[in-house]
Amino acid sequence: MTFELRSHTADVAVSATGATLGEAFAAAADGLAAATCDDIPDAGGRFSLTVRAEGPEALLFDYLDRLIYERDVRGVLPADNEATIHENENADGWVIEATARGVPLGAVDAREVKAVTYSEMRIDRVDDGWEAYVVLDV
Amino acid sequence: MTTREFDGVQLERVREFVWEIPQENGMGVPARVLASEALLEQIGDDKTLRQLKNAAHLPGMTGHAICMPDGHQGYGFPVGGVGATDAETGCISPGAVGYDINCGVRMMTTSLTYDDVRGREEELVEALFANVASGLGGGGVIDGDMDTVEAILERGVDWAVEAGWAVHDDLEHCEDEGRRPDADPGAVSQKAKDRGKNQLGSLGSGNHFLEIQRVTDVYRDDVADAYGLEPDRIVVLIHCGSRGLGHQTCTDYLRKIEKRHGDVLADLPDKELAAAPAGSELAKDYYGAMCACINFAWVNRQLIMHRTRQVFERVFDRSWEEMGMSLLYDVAHNIVKKERHRVDNEKRELYVHRKGATRAFPAGHPEVPAAYRDVGQPIIIPGSMGAGSYVLRGGDESMERTFGSTAHGAGRLMSRTQAKQEFWGETVQDELRDQNHVYVKAQSGATVAEEAPGVYKDVDEVVRVSDALGIGDRVARTYPVCNIKG
Repeated sequence: MTFELRSHTADVAVSATGATLGEAFAAAADGLAAATCDDIPDAGGRFSLTVRAEGPEALLFDYLDRLIYERDVRGVLPADNEATIHENENADGWVIEATARGVPLGAVDAREVKAVTYSEMRIDRVDDGWEAYVVLDV
Repeated sequence: MTTREFDGVQLERVREFVWEIPQENGMGVPARVLASEALLEQIGDDKTLRQLKNAAHLPGMTGHAICMPDGHQGYGFPVGGVGATDAETGCISPGAVGYDINCGVRMMTTSLTYDDVRGREEELVEALFANVASGLGGGGVIDGDMDTVEAILERGVDWAVEAGWAVHDDLEHCEDEGRRPDADPGAVSQKAKDRGKNQLGSLGSGNHFLEIQRVTDVYRDDVADAYGLEPDRIVVLIHCGSRGLGHQTCTDYLRKIEKRHGDVLADLPDKELAAAPAGSELAKDYYGAMCACINFAWVNRQLIMHRTRQVFERVFDRSWEEMGMSLLYDVAHNIVKKERHRVDNEKRELYVHRKGATRAFPAGHPEVPAAYRDVGQPIIIPGSMGAGSYVLRGGDESMERTFGSTAHGAGRLMSRTQAKQEFWGETVQDELRDQNHVYVKAQSGATVAEEAPGVYKDVDEVVRVSDALGIGDRVARTYPVCNIKG
């Protein structure tokens, strides 16, 4: 799983790839961390979260939104993200089970990403896995 | 007829500085760009024009979807966009306001002159940086609890007066006297309140800042006099918004509206434009929540302003009243407001969405505070750290041309990722200090690089267009002395 930060006039875009959809989403979450902070130290313990949504785009949106919420409320930068995704038949049938290492904000020179956006969002299956593209409001 | 084309989008020149994109394929109205040739080249260089066309698809759009001279690509609705929808038959769109609800600017005037501050810039910048929270996770001016958050959402700056963080004079120089009557704290989610609780009185980061400035030029003496501006005077400019509370509120409603009003969304070209039909439960709830966020942002800027007064008291060993530290005005530039406008010779109630655009009501308008009704509403246009800022007043043409709106800043030209390749934060800081006598202190060097003067459009050109169109008239110019940011 890898990510790249891409140019956007006012904001920052993340292009992420992974062998599975979960890996691609976790890579997008690592992109969110990288858009926040250039150098992420090896500090902080892991925490887990589960997010449900009605489809893959909504799930990526809600997953990254949840990480931003956890950042503000726990006072940690979610890094080294890992995730698996499964689908069931419920209304909010797309489920992501994720973990992140919460780096204390006091340990980083971080700038704020305000929110995740739907603008230009893409989730595509490619030959060797999945690609996700998301614009973050900075 | 002069025409221009950028990436397949055709524009026709209507008159000087006014360009029109004709109505086509699902657009409810034509779109207009207010720009000089030079600014239009920059606006046409990214996806701004396509996003403006998309904005014209919102149900019930009236007149034109309009892009201000500082417009640039955003998400969904362009930054610098103004869209007025019918308040009975149209819609309300959180994405046309933006995540940072009531992101805005306030200016505080003082009786100090540049000579009073010169030689003490480093002391001042250090004291401000130590006392005003910026960046991520730094807390705020006060430690809030949930009762405080609720009171602020409900009562805005009235709360600050009672809590000793504002004086009555501050209320008289704020839009709506610092309190939105339509605020509904119950429509703001617990998640949003959780985020806001730790951020009461904080700048955040990105392009948000607190700047000590000096007045360098006055263009309209009578208006400058009414605003308390004269050459060489020190003023304080504060740019920030509703913090995580506002970001979460926009996010929450974007998702709720997407789920409930999928039929409206199906006809819109960008999911980020998700809109609730006027009169629907979610339109009412979002408007109430957004108005509560407006209150929160006003208090956020008020807390920072009042803390700045305290810092000045310590640095200069005089009371803030002795230093004449008074709020000039507070403007919002990410907002939607129910306003009455004349459309086709008929007064109509509209939801005026301004995303990266500032209200610019002219002299005589009943919603301009009494203190400025004779001269027009103050408009504050923050520029970059190297170019200075402007104070304008609402122009006589603004109601006719832009639903009472003008620009909100210089407008970004270069992406943040490119800026970090072109500039190095420490070098920018050193050059600003040594060449421009501007003292900058930031939590993150990367933020300084991303906000380097070279990443912004020419604020002089933006203001020239606003002034020439009569939507926002130049009153004074200011130049930075000290700047703190996240």
